[in-house]
Amino acid sequence: MVEVTHLIEIPMAVEIPVGPQHPALHEPLLLKLYADGERIIKVDVMTGYNHRGIEKLTEKNTFYRDIFIIGRVCGICNAVHTNCYVRALEYILDVDPPPRAKYLRVLSMELERLHSHMLVLAVTAELAGYETLFMYLMKDREYVMKSKEILTGQRVMADYMMVGGVRRDIDEVKTSRILDIIKRVEERIKYYHKIFQEDVTINRRLRDTGRIKPREALAYSLVGPVVRGSGIKTDIRIQDKYDAYGDIPFNVITEDYGDSYARAMVRFGELYESINMVRYILTHLPQGNPVPDERKLPRRFPVGESYAAVEAPRGELTYYVSSSGGDKPYRVKIRTPSLNNIVNSAFTYVDQMIADVPIILGSFDPCISCMERAVITDLRRGVRYQVPLKELGGVRK
Amino acid sequence: MVTNLNLVDFLKEYVINSYTMKPNRVVIEVEASKIREVFSKLSETLDREAYYLATIEGTDFPEKNLIRIDYFVNVFGHNTYLVIRAYLPRENPIIPSVIDLVPGALAGELETYDLLGIIFDGNNYLRRSFFVPADVSSKDIYPLRKDSGV
Repeated sequence: MVEVTHLIEIPMAVEIPVGPQHPALHEPLLLKLYADGERIIKVDVMTGYNHRGIEKLTEKNTFYRDIFIIGRVCGICNAVHTNCYVRALEYILDVDPPPRAKYLRVLSMELERLHSHMLVLAVTAELAGYETLFMYLMKDREYVMKSKEILTGQRVMADYMMVGGVRRDIDEVKTSRILDIIKRVEERIKYYHKIFQEDVTINRRLRDTGRIKPREALAYSLVGPVVRGSGIKTDIRIQDKYDAYGDIPFNVITEDYGDSYARAMVRFGELYESINMVRYILTHLPQGNPVPDERKLPRRFPVGESYAAVEAPRGELTYYVSSSGGDKPYRVKIRTPSLNNIVNSAFTYVDQMIADVPIILGSFDPCISCMERAVITDLRRGVRYQVPLKELGGVRK
Repeated sequence: MVTNLNLVDFLKEYVINSYTMKPNRVVIEVEASKIREVFSKLSETLDREAYYLATIEGTDFPEKNLIRIDYFVNVFGHNTYLVIRAYLPRENPIIPSVIDLVPGALAGELETYDLLGIIFDGNNYLRRSFFVPADVSSKDIYPLRKDSGV
């Protein structure tokens, strides 16, 4: 007769860490998943792997130096970051940049939205298992980067914004080159849009995953294409009409269903809108000199505070700047859209399948590494201990 | 439609002081202990699909011995931002947590606690090293305090 010596108890919830090492892209972040079989019951978001203390750093440098520090907060959307900070300074100083500078600022930010959305859509395709589409999208994204280089002088780190204007002007040759590129890219985006709509795999992976109801999206302070994908029409470009957004016609794209597919479709819609805006700006550019004389800017700032917001590719990005008089800010508060979208979005994973986590994470950052454990109770000695599931085969004595 | 003036109006029982922050944000100062009542009143009065809590920001004023906390609420349904501002004593900065009323406050509360040491009473998720590296947080330093030496 077989004697029972060990009771093997496999827990209902298996803890699976996703991250913090992300070979693919973006920030190091750890999602701790608790799964019952394939179904997720809880997610903890663990952060703190990449804190650089930029808010503190800005307090120790002058207002003008900070523009360059702020540009390095984010590699993908540095123009929107610097724009938001520079506008916060302009509100304190009561400076209004010339119309041509406002148009050029919008131009650089819309080019940035183009390449940022193309990156996210490419990563989405890769996560759904469609690596060829990833390669093609990234290749065409490179043309947009090129047009950003034509405009600002740098394909990534633009450092384009200045208090009272922008750092360089654009001439007719550059205008026609950007228009050429945009025309080419638009054709490609239409093609990729068609693939996203028609491809069976992409549709099956994206549809119905990570569905967010409109009320939830707002209660959890989600922003940008995520909340617009749930049918809420909120866009800082419409709300604040900063820079030239009051003059340039565009539509706010929303989708109703709130799943990963809806968010991808919002991004495609915004790509078309950005292309139309770029075209409008380049054909309606006001005359004048957009580059201010740096020597005439005041060194010391008056006492005051301002709160600027900008619609970054990932959503509402806000800067609070406070000046106590002097040449350094008293406090700079940066609230990036990803802080809300990543930390507060833990509820979206609940009741989803483990395999869908990267898809839901899609617009943020993907990766999976696994760890499993089982609890063993030794009946003879009356002790409990844990072993990895892998070693379970070897537990005999 | 609720205009900027009305926004201050319907919260007037809590408002100690009100003014505007550039470019056109409505600031109201309230008592820290009333913060939950203010958010309850907001959710009663405004349509739930008209606003969200955008940012929580704290500033240290060692010479006044105060810490200031600002809640930036984006009332996009009425095209404005409402800034709810409260002052806390520096030695014992405790404010009631609002995460059960506004779940979106989670990220902001965790961040503000870790960087500035404001304790959100009722938030069980507060922990050090949410953002701050372990070598700083283990010394019990809040880096955004002006005298932190970081």
